[in-house]
Amino acid sequence: MKIELEDENDLDHYIICHKCHTVQEEIAISDGSKALCSMCKMPLYRYDTRLVEHGLALSITGLIFIVLANLFPLIKIEILGTESYITIISMISSLIGSGYYLVALFLLYLIVIFPVMIFSLYILLFALLKLKRAEELAKNILILLAQIEPWQMSDIFLVSILVSIVKLFGMATIHIGISFWTLFVFVLIDIYMTRSIHLGELWVLKKEIYSKKAEKLKNDTPISNTKKGVSS
Amino acid sequence: MIVVDSDKLIACPICEATNIDKSNRNICRRCGSKIYHHRNSPTEKSWAYLITAIIAYIPANIYPMMVINQFGSKSGSTILEGVIELWEHGDYPISIVILIASIFVPITKFLMLIYLLVSVKYPIGNDKKVNRFTVYYFTEIIGPWSMVDVFVVGILAGLVHLSSVQIIAGTASTAFAVSVFFTLLAAHSFDTKLIRGR
Ligand SMILES: [Zn+2]
Ligand SMILES: [Zn+2]
Repeated sequence: MKIELEDENDLDHYIICHKCHTVQEEIAISDGSKALCSMCKMPLYRYDTRLVEHGLALSITGLIFIVLANLFPLIKIEILGTESYITIISMISSLIGSGYYLVALFLLYLIVIFPVMIFSLYILLFALLKLKRAEELAKNILILLAQIEPWQMSDIFLVSILVSIVKLFGMATIHIGISFWTLFVFVLIDIYMTRSIHLGELWVLKKEIYSKKAEKLKNDTPISNTKKGVSS
Repeated sequence: MIVVDSDKLIACPICEATNIDKSNRNICRRCGSKIYHHRNSPTEKSWAYLITAIIAYIPANIYPMMVINQFGSKSGSTILEGVIELWEHGDYPISIVILIASIFVPITKFLMLIYLLVSVKYPIGNDKKVNRFTVYYFTEIIGPWSMVDVFVVGILAGLVHLSSVQIIAGTASTAFAVSVFFTLLAAHSFDTKLIRGR
């Protein structure tokens, strides 16, 4: 298939499907809907005029829940009258205590540092987009997000907690802690975010926002120049 | 005015922007990341990561994943023993989850990556209707799920350290975590543009 372009920027109207890698031409869609790949039906992009506001609200809520999930007990158990509970932090420190530094380090990154970092970066990014400020920083955040997103495993950790609970059946009395539920809400938010906000769309949005701002500046400058010219 | 064939378009691995393949080292027009061209793009790195992952997977299956210390008597179980134990207990769903996450997923991922790495260098199975991009996409999706058993060991070891019963993480948990880590690295370093190369 031959594609005609005015210049390289026209390539923004072509999207390569992440799943089947066929080239798809962008089409106009209505607010709140999504475009699917014509080959494999994978969602390609969405159109949301309030993407920045939605993204900001979601990422702030997400950050609150992941921080809460780190503070309270996940599960409490009772065996023969003795009680014991676990928080994410106590789990990691007990692994360090028994010499499993590498596993502890993995867990620390995969379920604490990366999720907190990703949601903080999203907040910063949406704030910058909202304020139309610091384009270079916004660009670097987008690059960083693409690199660390695959290493976030809160959802898998949540399933692992369920597996652990089943393994403990019969051996102990189990109580589900507050952090389990906050983690559960966090995972729901995270799944909703990865499904509804693609990094590709954020690049398009970033370009739109900052080029509008640049245009405005360009229109503004001649006037201020003439003013300067008069006064000098 | 540029006329370009759609086969010449490649996606940036970082920002997903569509770029024209200029048959040498490409720099993404949007984010500035390097996009290697197939002929220059090495598979050695992916191979090295993958082989490390496979080597680490051997001790992960030989040594105990979890040791239970009950009233002074220790009993360790490997991944497979754990699966069998759960099955005998009647915990079929969990037994299947662990079997899939710890044995099925890693081995499928090894095989898929070997297939992808071999098939980009030697023309095997190219005429078949296998979409290798879809194969890659699935290795990406299923990969992290093999961490389930490592997480479970972490949770149980952190939770069960009472005077009567203690659960201790086994040597295999480190080996397994290393194996998963390197499999993920191998998949991420694999350049999907290699697939289009032939
Ligand atoms: Zn597709
Ligand atoms: Zn790029």
